[in-house]
Amino acid sequence: MKKYDVVIIGAGPAGLAAAVSAREEDASVLVIEREARPGGILKQCIHDGFGLIRYREKLSGCEYASREILKTRESGAEIQTLSFVSRITKLEKGFVLLLSSRHGMSNIFARSLILATGCRERTARQVAVHGTRPAGVLTAGTAQYYLNVLGQLPGKRCVILGSGDIGLIMARRLTLEGAEVLGVYEAKSEPGGLSRNLYQCLEDFDIPLHLSTTVLEVHGKERVQGVTLVKVDENLTPLPGTEEDLSCDALILSVGLIPENELAQNLGAVIDPVTKGPVADEDGMTSVPGLFSCGNAYHVSDLADYVSESGERAGRAAAVWTPGNIPSTLPVTAEKNLLYVVPQGIRRQPQEKIVFYFRCSRTLQGAILRVRLGENEILQKHYDILRPAEIEKVILNLSGKDLCSCERLTFSLEEL
Amino acid sequence: MKRSLQYKLDKLCSGRIHREKHHGIIHLTGHCSEWQQAVEAGLLAAKKGSRTHVVNDIVPDSQVMEHPLGSLPDLRDNSLDGRHPDVLIIGGGVIGCAIARELTKSKLDILLIEKEYDVAVHASSRNDGVIHPGIDLLPGLLKKKYNNRGNPLYDQLARELDIPFERVGQHLVFQKRSMKLPAIASLLYFNLSVAGKVRFIEKNKLHRLEPGLSDRAAFALFFEGAGIICPFNLTIALAENAIQNGAEISLNTAALSMDLTRRGKKYITAVHTNRGTIYPRLVISAAGVFAEEIARMAGDRFFSIHPRKGSSVILDKKVKANIHSVYSFLQGWNANRHSKGGGIIPTIHGNVLVGPDAVEVREKEDFSTHRDNLQAVFEKQKNISNWLNPADTIAYFSGIRAATYEEDFILEKGRQTENILHAAGIQSPGLTAAPAIALKMEKMALTYLSRFGNVPSNPSFNPYRKAPPHLASLPEKERDRLIRQNPDYGQILCRCEEISKGEILDAMRRPLPCFTLDGIKRRVRPTSGRCQGGFCAPLILPLIAEEAKILPENVCKGVPGSRILFGEKGEGREEI
Repeated sequence: MKKYDVVIIGAGPAGLAAAVSAREEDASVLVIEREARPGGILKQCIHDGFGLIRYREKLSGCEYASREILKTRESGAEIQTLSFVSRITKLEKGFVLLLSSRHGMSNIFARSLILATGCRERTARQVAVHGTRPAGVLTAGTAQYYLNVLGQLPGKRCVILGSGDIGLIMARRLTLEGAEVLGVYEAKSEPGGLSRNLYQCLEDFDIPLHLSTTVLEVHGKERVQGVTLVKVDENLTPLPGTEEDLSCDALILSVGLIPENELAQNLGAVIDPVTKGPVADEDGMTSVPGLFSCGNAYHVSDLADYVSESGERAGRAAAVWTPGNIPSTLPVTAEKNLLYVVPQGIRRQPQEKIVFYFRCSRTLQGAILRVRLGENEILQKHYDILRPAEIEKVILNLSGKDLCSCERLTFSLEEL
Repeated sequence: MKRSLQYKLDKLCSGRIHREKHHGIIHLTGHCSEWQQAVEAGLLAAKKGSRTHVVNDIVPDSQVMEHPLGSLPDLRDNSLDGRHPDVLIIGGGVIGCAIARELTKSKLDILLIEKEYDVAVHASSRNDGVIHPGIDLLPGLLKKKYNNRGNPLYDQLARELDIPFERVGQHLVFQKRSMKLPAIASLLYFNLSVAGKVRFIEKNKLHRLEPGLSDRAAFALFFEGAGIICPFNLTIALAENAIQNGAEISLNTAALSMDLTRRGKKYITAVHTNRGTIYPRLVISAAGVFAEEIARMAGDRFFSIHPRKGSSVILDKKVKANIHSVYSFLQGWNANRHSKGGGIIPTIHGNVLVGPDAVEVREKEDFSTHRDNLQAVFEKQKNISNWLNPADTIAYFSGIRAATYEEDFILEKGRQTENILHAAGIQSPGLTAAPAIALKMEKMALTYLSRFGNVPSNPSFNPYRKAPPHLASLPEKERDRLIRQNPDYGQILCRCEEISKGEILDAMRRPLPCFTLDGIKRRVRPTSGRCQGGFCAPLILPLIAEEAKILPENVCKGVPGSRILFGEKGEGREEI
């Protein structure tokens, strides 16, 4: 059985960054990838906007991925593609992974294991779209694959449900390829994507955005022939009498992303009901010692740059982690106006720089973030506007702080 | 009695319904305002289980929405023209395929036609996959008889066809403690009248066996005979085995009309299809919701089908740990009928199914689902489980039961036409009964065909069909061995269900090949997991195109015309 200090599942931006940083600590590293090529979902992202933070340049997803792949190859980390983790067994001093590949079944030992498995898209069935089941109902990521990888048009008259970023990007992309995008419909009363995408993908192309509206039913036997739209209230319950039929040949969904956490769950990691990823500390270590999570598998980020950062931290920590070392953690809690804060806990060791990400639970025009350590406020930060669609990053300096005697670190947002 | 029936009919449709009885058939004609009233009139006029059937020609004022034969294939050719099979089976559901397989035990020319692009497209793939013990079936019904005969055949059938089958048992859960004595008393009845043994289960033991039951579950009766199977795997396996033994299955082929002659009784001389005219000795109708239309074509219409829709929800595999057997529940006590409205069912593939419900509908092929129905399905079951959560939904679907007004199977030879056999009105427990129905229809067919001379048995009949390998369920060493023989078995394309490229290619290279996403899904399950094809469909599509030697944009999801792609991007740009 081959043995590695660090095994990483997933060669997307999180996994690749983890591999590089683990190699910097001199660990032996193997990255396992199910697909034929590394790069993850970035391979199909031909639009730009990647790397503004990490490279201070505007790159396409493919360019960003190729830089990460190059760095990983130079680092000396092994990447094994077309390999699938079929089973993981937790041992006292590490993990045994059963792999399926074109060469056969093999077992690999990992002292520490990083899950960088990314996320998946919520489907039409998960947002209660009813009616018939013809061809032409697909998620935005799948539409993106068809268009950008296979070079095929998945619809000519498209309705987009959900205003997530991929949906907005696809609205523009489909328009550029000659399809007609009839509109983007969002069940919530606020748009879901990044502000820059709302402007660059919808406004610039005159694609209407309809809020508080959802798709009730799909029509058509062979191919989608139309949808019934309906207005919804704040609880997303359809309002009777507001139904409206719209003829189209594709329904494209961008209704949210869910971290792929089945492997973590099977290993017994505690899952956060809000992020749907595992509960983890600032290094991405889950409740299972030696098991790390990073990138979108941990919590869904808006930017690949943040995903890479999260991978870097997990890679470094996984490389230096020794079995049996189970640090005591200080719980981090999200209070007023916050949807979540990650990490959900931090080690009780004063550090100079700990990175937190948070999402507010609703749009706030002017807010103050307050961070309290026990009863003492340690940070106040002012924001002009906060939207749930946009994740915020905040760095705390906890050097010299007594983290052992207090009960928790608390984040809250005060509306101005 | 008769007067009161006519009174009820008059009251229902303001005197616009005419009722006539002749040749052992009750014939309803006239008008009503809504379809539901026509159904109600039919149910009022019929006696449950009676051989005197109701033919319902009441016309609702609202217009008919679909062709009486449903959607028909566009394909037109002469590939079957001039064929003289001994037996022509109409319908490639579980019943038709099971009959075809049974008949291959004899040396016969057997042709099965199916109007859809695959077998098991209608009710045979749109049900809960439960092999029933027969709890709610009244003695005397054919349903009861064939359910109880079919149920015990499943262990051997599943072995022969190499498909998974598990006798997980069924808990009939009671919520009222006061029902305990009547329930214990009913044990005697149940032990005599259902397939498999029945036991009484005390509350403590019940909650130990099924920790996912809510506190409201007071006790249960456990029916050992209940099992679970994949209904489409079964149908496909039956079809494959029938083909291996010499039967022919022609897909995309619809019976459009028949030529009849009269020599005493009527006689079918020819069956016209979209692929030519067939001259069979014997026709067997296994046409599901269209059985009445086939009977009409054969001049032998003595029953009516009223479609009844059922919708079910499929839950994520992660909740399967909560449930070990089928559960359904009893709210009150009503002799031996438990309330319609399905149950909670662990599927053979490791998901959980909730439902189905039962709604009378007019259209026979409208498989749409509706929000309200599925909310009601959950509402109904949530009392007895403590883990049921709509958020775990990964899919939902509906199926249409081919119910007669007598609510029983029809397994008989033509009443006015000599050379037709009807397997009609096959609704629940049709899946359970299928092997027994097939044996009965085989016997009837052989009896009829023996008049043309001795029917020899087929010396090369082999009941065993080998399933393609399912890698994820194999032991590591066996899996490794297969991958070394064929590396495609090692490359996983569907991550939710852990299905390899090799298994997907296998599905297209079977005795009954299929080149659609849904066909492959029914055979080896990609796109049926939690991502619902988001990741794997784009990977499978090019494989289908390559294997079928068609362009990617001509690959269909399922039915002909259900194309997924519109061709190379940029083409549309010229249209701007």
